[in-house]
Amino acid sequence: MLEHLAAIAADGILLGLIYAIAGLGLSLVLGIMGIVNVAHSAFIMLGSFFAFELFERLGIDPIISFFLALPVFFVLGTVVYRMLLTRLERVAQAQGLVAMFGLMVLIENLGTIVWTTDTRVITASYTNSSVVVGGLFIAKVKLIAGILALALTAIFWAFLRFTLVGRAIRAMSQNRDAAMSAGIDVRRLSTMMFGLGIACAGAAGVALAMIFPFSPNTQVQWLAWAFLVVILGGLGNVANTLVAGLIVGLLQTLCAAFLPFDYVYLVLYVLLAAVLVLRREGLTLAVRRAI
Amino acid sequence: MLSLFFLPSTRESASGRIYRRAPWLLALSVLALYGVLGRQLFLLSTLGTVFLYIALTQAWNILGGYGGYLNFGMVTFFGVGAYTSAVLFQYWEISPFLTAPFAGITSAALALLIGIPTLRIRGAYFALITLIITFAVQILVLDMPFTQGALGIYLQPLSLTPLGVERLFYYLFLACAALVTLLVYAIEHSNFGWALVAIREDEDAAEIIGIRTVEVKWIANCLAGFVAGVVGGLYAQRILYIEPTGTFAFDISLNVVLMAVIGGAGTWQGPLIGAPLVLLVADALRVTFTSEVNRAIFSVIVILIALFIPGGIMGLWTRWGRGRAEKAAAGGTQGARADEQSVQ
Repeated sequence: MLEHLAAIAADGILLGLIYAIAGLGLSLVLGIMGIVNVAHSAFIMLGSFFAFELFERLGIDPIISFFLALPVFFVLGTVVYRMLLTRLERVAQAQGLVAMFGLMVLIENLGTIVWTTDTRVITASYTNSSVVVGGLFIAKVKLIAGILALALTAIFWAFLRFTLVGRAIRAMSQNRDAAMSAGIDVRRLSTMMFGLGIACAGAAGVALAMIFPFSPNTQVQWLAWAFLVVILGGLGNVANTLVAGLIVGLLQTLCAAFLPFDYVYLVLYVLLAAVLVLRREGLTLAVRRAI
Repeated sequence: MLSLFFLPSTRESASGRIYRRAPWLLALSVLALYGVLGRQLFLLSTLGTVFLYIALTQAWNILGGYGGYLNFGMVTFFGVGAYTSAVLFQYWEISPFLTAPFAGITSAALALLIGIPTLRIRGAYFALITLIITFAVQILVLDMPFTQGALGIYLQPLSLTPLGVERLFYYLFLACAALVTLLVYAIEHSNFGWALVAIREDEDAAEIIGIRTVEVKWIANCLAGFVAGVVGGLYAQRILYIEPTGTFAFDISLNVVLMAVIGGAGTWQGPLIGAPLVLLVADALRVTFTSEVNRAIFSVIVILIALFIPGGIMGLWTRWGRGRAEKAAAGGTQGARADEQSVQ
């Protein structure tokens, strides 16, 4: 029994690490820039297919794709920011949301045109093997994906905390006007921040593709997970997002083990509603600047 | 409290009112007449679908258009309504025509349940939750024992000729669309409507002048839920077989947003323009393209409208009308000035 529980916990923690990076991009973009990126999960889906294409066509291992995705999606994010987001600053919040919703539908359907609605999997050499850690059998892919996710979270945390650019980004999130008068190029930093958020989404897509099957038209489910992590962890804080991701991962594996079928969704949505009710003041402050 | 909903309407001469309403009444009576005279099943059924979407889009319009809180999951209310009627038929054999109001109440209750946590806070939380809740409800319907999961539920066909059935639903959905449009028109000209617009423009200011913003948003959302539930219940009887994937199709949510945004959200005429236009263009495109290309094209249109034409087609129309009026006014003053100069 105890061993069973430990296996569930290990599974949940590894999944949680991946959910944490799925939520991290959304959290940073929402918390620091106040942009509600409805299209976040569409970029996650693109990340999954990025890994899929590299694996099928060129035989590149998803572990390498994970690192390749970062610069590729960073550039994609900056392009989207320049083309779309800079124009959204001038329009009302509801219109901004509609535009992001349009972007999500656009990406999803372009994905469907290119890859059809078939469900895909990536079967690397290590996909079906497992390792024994301290008497526990752990699937090798989950371990690898979890470690990659943890590394990415650590890099983001260190970047925001210790570098000058990271400090400027934090300044911008605290007070945009003050940051501007202190000589920070807010527009360039915003572009960069959005690019980083999308890079994170792309990498999360690669990590998710290693474990779960995926198809273009089921991407909204990842928005649900990412959003849950964001709400639970609060906005724009890397460490809290990590903890929230772990909680969601643990909860999912525990529910899956002890409850019949998909009641886990019901549990998660009730949790989501409870957090929204309880944390409403804290959230309102952060969203006041939202597009 | 009542003063919130019943409205001081603007005073206007009786003839002016008739003149203004005549085109709409004429269009309505032509459509009603077509229901009797029309014999083409395809056309009757397509128009029925247009009316169904007009009703849904108008319902969306109340909170989304006037209040600025976007619902990206209208199909949740619609599907829950359809399933309420279907389940009631399955176990007690009550016709969906009788249970449609109950389907509406169920959906309104769900709307309240979603609204309580998400509409108390501001910002995009409502939009995000409505977007992701469709997925959860669909999974629940798939797994609950009493909805028969992926098997779906069959309803009893009506004992009418095919033409009779199409006519019946043509009139039912026409009546729904007309009533909901009337409701939205009344809301637009009521204090309730002004309260919603105030929330959209500046929620802090709305609260300061004494609007109970949270309650207003809840009521608007429940109204939308009710309408979508009733329409969903009738829809179940129309297609006779419902199952989770088709009934909770994301396309329906998407269509509603497209129609409202393209036609012009926040005006009662917007859905009347948007619904037929989107369905017509979608049908025309379907001949040459697949539905994915179709949706990709529409999403680009929506992005462009959101960025450059805020009010949709209705927005363009009012701006054009205002521009013409201003030009006429400017011409008038110039003429007056010329008169003055000639006198001097």
